[in-house]
Amino acid sequence: MVVERFPDFYQWIGPGALQFLGILIAASLLGLFIGYVVSVFRHGPFEAFYVVAQVIGEAVPDFLGLSFRRLVAIARLTAKEALRRRVLLVTFAIFAAMLLFGGWFLNSASEHPDRIYVNFVMWGTQMLVLLMGMLVSAFSLPEDIKNKTIYTVVTKPVRASEIVLGRIMGLGAVCTALLALMALISFFFVWRGLSHEHQIVGDTQTLASFVDVDQGTRKSRFTARRVSENAVMEAQTTRESGHSHRLELVEDIRDADSPPLVASNVVDSVELPGGRVKYRRIVCLPVGGHTHPVKVVGEGDDARIELGSSVGYFRARVPVYADSLRFRDREGNLKDRGTNVGNEWGYRGYVDGGSGAIRSSLARGLFRFSGFRESLFRRPDVVPLDLSLSVFRTYKANVEKRVMAGLEFESIPDNPEVDNRFVSDMITFETNEYTLQTLPIPRKVVGKLLAPDGAIVGQGEYDLFDDYAKNGNLMLNLSCRDSGQYLGVARADIYFRAGDTLYWLNFFKGYVGIWCQLMIIIAMGVAFSTFLNTPVTMLGIVVMAILGFYSQFVRDLTLPDSDGGGPIESFIRVITQQNMQVSLQTGVLTTLMEQADKLLVWLLAGLTYLAPDFSQLDFSSFLTYGYSVDPQRLIVALLITVAFISGLTILGYFALKTREIAK
Amino acid sequence: MSTENASASSVVEDSAAPGQATRLEQTNPDYDPNVVVETQNLTKIYRDFWGRQKVRALNALDLEVRKGEIFGLLGPNGSGKSTTIKLLLGLLFPTSGRALVFGKNATEVTKNERIGYLPEESYLYKFLTAEETLDFYGRLFDMPAAVRKERVESLIEQVGLTWAKRRQLKEYSKGMTRRIGLAQALINDPELILLDEPTSGLDPLGTREMKDMILKLRDQGKTIIMCSHLLADVQDVCDRIAVLYQGDLKELGRVDSLLQVSDETQIRAKNLPDAAAEEIRAVIAKHGGEVLSVDNPRTTLEELFLDIVRESQARPGHRSSGVDSN
Repeated sequence: MVVERFPDFYQWIGPGALQFLGILIAASLLGLFIGYVVSVFRHGPFEAFYVVAQVIGEAVPDFLGLSFRRLVAIARLTAKEALRRRVLLVTFAIFAAMLLFGGWFLNSASEHPDRIYVNFVMWGTQMLVLLMGMLVSAFSLPEDIKNKTIYTVVTKPVRASEIVLGRIMGLGAVCTALLALMALISFFFVWRGLSHEHQIVGDTQTLASFVDVDQGTRKSRFTARRVSENAVMEAQTTRESGHSHRLELVEDIRDADSPPLVASNVVDSVELPGGRVKYRRIVCLPVGGHTHPVKVVGEGDDARIELGSSVGYFRARVPVYADSLRFRDREGNLKDRGTNVGNEWGYRGYVDGGSGAIRSSLARGLFRFSGFRESLFRRPDVVPLDLSLSVFRTYKANVEKRVMAGLEFESIPDNPEVDNRFVSDMITFETNEYTLQTLPIPRKVVGKLLAPDGAIVGQGEYDLFDDYAKNGNLMLNLSCRDSGQYLGVARADIYFRAGDTLYWLNFFKGYVGIWCQLMIIIAMGVAFSTFLNTPVTMLGIVVMAILGFYSQFVRDLTLPDSDGGGPIESFIRVITQQNMQVSLQTGVLTTLMEQADKLLVWLLAGLTYLAPDFSQLDFSSFLTYGYSVDPQRLIVALLITVAFISGLTILGYFALKTREIAK
Repeated sequence: MSTENASASSVVEDSAAPGQATRLEQTNPDYDPNVVVETQNLTKIYRDFWGRQKVRALNALDLEVRKGEIFGLLGPNGSGKSTTIKLLLGLLFPTSGRALVFGKNATEVTKNERIGYLPEESYLYKFLTAEETLDFYGRLFDMPAAVRKERVESLIEQVGLTWAKRRQLKEYSKGMTRRIGLAQALINDPELILLDEPTSGLDPLGTREMKDMILKLRDQGKTIIMCSHLLADVQDVCDRIAVLYQGDLKELGRVDSLLQVSDETQIRAKNLPDAAAEEIRAVIAKHGGEVLSVDNPRTTLEELFLDIVRESQARPGHRSSGVDSN
């Protein structure tokens, strides 16, 4: 599983700004209309024009005259007030209890305990702080109005905008402090919960505890699974956190001038004829996405073997995704979507492995990368390529044997009719179906240099960055090497791994999303409470939050081609017990109803944009699956938050300004 | 100009020197700088959710409060006094008519820079100390820290709460709360002070202090509007009063002229023998007058109480003999 890539900031900002502008204009018109209607009841139709114009006229100087000192004063007072209420304390107490006792129910023995831990703390924190934000904001202003303490505030030169914004700032400050504390505690909870060490099962922590691999079956004596290709001995670790690892002693034969990158796990080495060296290394096999570094102290069979603390849980991978994915069918024709394999076809496109008759299928998945530069990668000598491929098998074949795939790199010349292009030889590999696998791609890749007419100009090792991606553009072609089988890929399924960012930093970046949601909930609470009482405010926030969490679903409901028509038609079908598929009798009434439905659906679709799309502010999947939170997504989330707070402040301003405080 | 005045005028940028109109007011050709508050046909009707009339709290009130006077709004409970004050402050919106403060519409927020308001109950944040309270309200006037600090200290001393300035207001007695309430109303050295039942809940000593403070503020050139149903308070401090009853203005004028009974003459003398008193009766009878009473005038209960307190403070430990003075 990988995290879907969001359109980057530059792709988002244009349509996002337009959408914001549209919503702003629509909301302003709606506000003007409601304001005028209310004013008509109070002052009559002619006076109402004057009153509405006056209120709007005063709004500009009121916002321009915002005083930072007054804002801070109101924010500080609100923060003190909120701290006095027990909501924050109770929230923290529930959070503490959740961590104290929740740990009992988290299954450390599961396949991915890190995901369970991160999901648990993030979901728990999110629900608690959003509830807390709702409560403190819904009570804040109404309490002030009920106690009449607001009389002594609004009779000072305080703008309604300052009251609204100051309250959002004050409540935001205390809730942010609590969220930061919860994030810090959560981080240590996850860290402590997942960190563990193992010992080797046996009398000694040396090779004496290892047993020989059954060379006949090549299956483990402990797990009955296939052992690695070069493994000669194996051992098992003690069971900690609900799991144990298998250790293998592998024989690694290398050239003398290219020793293993990690030397700490080498037991001994023997020089072979022809300038080659045989290294005997101990490898700890991963379980549930983590392993343990092996350290060999001493040399030979008596060397002491030490296993370090778990590594692999706390990752924050930085992916470099392709800009686009297109396909070629088995005849080599370019397509936007892969081969259709039935129900599974949709999100992923499938690459045809060819048939028995046509062995050389030309089907490819074409991943086009731009901005592919050496500077993106922490270690450009070996570039890790992560893949999560799905497989559609048309025949069972040997289940022990995985489907083979092939990779080719290809340069994309600026001028294909003139410039030569580099095409690498195919790199074949076994696919880990649906499981993330990493292929280390060396910087030097063997390939050919082809002239525009296809003639081979050169052959040899070419540099991935300086040759293949000289202009920053690179094509990666994925093919299925087993005939009769299909490989399924989506754009986010293959990416280069630029490196890892600091886990703790990424963890806190993940909480920025919760913070954005919290601030919007607080802003909603303050804005709504300027014209609603506490219970109705809370109800309003709950409705908006539900719309926010399920915004896509709600928007899908308003799609014009929904079965059974719009709200009026659906209602009529329900009461007349008519099937959704049956057409209604044609006539004037039906036409009127359909047009009214269209209008209603259009209005409802518009209204859904008034609720925040919380999925854009949710970074939990990044943390759960070990990816670095994309900074561009952070910027987008912060801009969305600022946009909502601004809109809600304006709403709160007009509602408070036109409200009779002493009524 | 005192330090306080200097600091406040530096803070209240929009306010002008006394007697001078601000730029905004100068644009209003009808604005008379000597008229601080003006209401024209001011009416307030409270309605229910459906817009049906519940109560007519104020009915076509026409008032003018001039600069430097203490103006009293008098009337029984529910007569519309507090409604008038709230309309002047912009806490309520008029159903019809206009309320102008310093020539501006009462709903305009900038007018508040020159106003101080003491509500009927001191609606203050009980979890703040006196210092924090005044500091908070000072910030609302955008006062710089140094000015604010000086002003807070001066006002706390002025209202006699230096000894309790670091106590939370929830620990304050009613009298102390009123004092800090008055201090917050004066934080900006306002030109117009609106006092809603300023002596409510105060003991006689506190009442006297409050009244002295009001007179002192008037002497400093401030305009004061107070509303009360306590006749003695109004009589003692107000220059002019308006008497309201069920939202209607019943009487308006100077206190001395309103209380003066022009067809009665009161004679007060000291050490007058009985014979002289008889002579005076005879003179009145000779001129056709009717003697209602000639007797020793009584002091008010408030005066008596204050005398006793002053006496007690001057001579600690002195006790009454317990014998009826009659």
